[in-house]
Amino acid sequence: MLEVVAPGPLLTLQDRGRPGLAHLGVPPSGACDPWGLTVANLLAQAPPDAIAVEVTLGGTQLRAVETCTVSLAGADLGAELDDGRPLPAGAVYRLSAGSQIRFAGSRTGMRAYVGLAGGVAARRVLGSASTCVPAGIGGIDGRPLRAGDVLLPVRRGDLGAAGRAWPARRAPHPARLDGPLRFVPGPDLRHLPADTAGALAAATWRVGPASDRMGMRLEGAALLPGGEILSHPVTPGAIQVPADGRPVVLFVDGPTIGGYPVVGVVPRWERSRLGQLRPGDRVTFAPQDAADARAAWAEQQRRLAAAARVIGVDALWEGLADGAGG
Amino acid sequence: MDDPPAAGHAPRIDRLGDAALIVTFSDELDLRANAWARRAAAELEVRRPSVPGLDTAVPGHASVLVPFDPDRCAEEALRGLLAEVLDATGRSEAAADGVLHEISVRYGGIEGPDLPEVAARTGMSEDQVVALHAGVEYRVLVLGFVPGFPYLGVVPAPLDLPRRATPRVRVPAGSVAIAGRQTGIYPFETPGGWHLIGRTEALLWDVRREHPALLAPGDRVRFVPR
Repeated sequence: MLEVVAPGPLLTLQDRGRPGLAHLGVPPSGACDPWGLTVANLLAQAPPDAIAVEVTLGGTQLRAVETCTVSLAGADLGAELDDGRPLPAGAVYRLSAGSQIRFAGSRTGMRAYVGLAGGVAARRVLGSASTCVPAGIGGIDGRPLRAGDVLLPVRRGDLGAAGRAWPARRAPHPARLDGPLRFVPGPDLRHLPADTAGALAAATWRVGPASDRMGMRLEGAALLPGGEILSHPVTPGAIQVPADGRPVVLFVDGPTIGGYPVVGVVPRWERSRLGQLRPGDRVTFAPQDAADARAAWAEQQRRLAAAARVIGVDALWEGLADGAGG
Repeated sequence: MDDPPAAGHAPRIDRLGDAALIVTFSDELDLRANAWARRAAAELEVRRPSVPGLDTAVPGHASVLVPFDPDRCAEEALRGLLAEVLDATGRSEAAADGVLHEISVRYGGIEGPDLPEVAARTGMSEDQVVALHAGVEYRVLVLGFVPGFPYLGVVPAPLDLPRRATPRVRVPAGSVAIAGRQTGIYPFETPGGWHLIGRTEALLWDVRREHPALLAPGDRVRFVPR
């Protein structure tokens, strides 16, 4: 059982989100880094659709109101105990009553996940507890967590997962990969100047300061814009080219339809890496065909399932293979 | 290839990422293409239980997004299914009339702060703008942007204005707005770039209801000045 002492820039409850409601205008929300969420839940012996805490950058402080276990996964945000002992991601820690976790600041990545035994207890709205701040739904009253909020584990008092560690060598976080972020070209290339996909791939971009769960603004030498088009449905990962030529990568809380041409879409297997990009990070892109992107996704899921077997939670996780996409 | 397919011609099918196809019926705002998109989405929803890996389709203004799990549903099989669905739904004409909603609106004043500017830019009086806006029956073309936001068409041509150059950071819930040939209602406070001409007390979005969205694509809407 944790109490929020300081939320940091953005602290929310997230699970795998609410897919399948885009026809009502509801974005999928969910963890920005589905891999990190999955690992936090696996370590906490929580079911696939369990709820965890998404920590953004640094400054967050959480206090154990009673002795409990917490799992940490995702980015290295400098988590440490109040006595200064570091708490690396990819493990489960036993916190005694009164002790605190502090996230000192990002060393790598943007978002960390804190799991509790069996998951965090929260009410689901439209099938999910994921907080979608723009729509004011999910989490606690549709808002980010704030000081004084209390988070209860589903299995209160269960300390059984303490000491459990993620086999990071067997299944490293996808954000550990170097190289360009892949995108599957289309569907609006015909509304854009010739070889816009090539121009996107040729440039080096910087993640803009205004980037958030709705979208990521890319700064750099502007692309030639294609103007407005008739709006069509979009998904997280869609790379729009707006009128100023600076691409925007739509993200999990973003609009469900968009009126700027989409040059390509970041595929599922790259979502976790995308979700760990910080404002100021440099990023390059490379096209990938859909078949290769699907193969990479399948391979990623196999790694996740194999690691789950290593830590002995595969029985809990029969739905893993089709689960971690978000 | 570069010519936009008119409604009645074969729709285009493109990939949107590695786990969705998008069917485009028209590149223009076109009520027939919109109706076809809604029929196709409805037909896909009917077939979904018998197609493992097919997720809920998302109808757009003149397109349908078809998300799927490629591990359980091969893209080729899905393209085959889409061909059947497009054939079956392309033959019928406009969908059956949707529910008619009468939505009471207070035009102008602090609730419609852009009404004077809209009147000035279109060369009409404020009363004429209101009469035009409230004088036609609209179709809900699509829900999107944020939960429960209806895009309604088609706004009479004299009111056709581009979006505001600078979007507002906060548009109050219930604001009735116009942009281009469309009108919409902001379901809750959000940023927005459309021209605000009035406000309604109707609750467009409420997760406590069984159907959180007040309106559904295909429904009809009439604005009633109060």
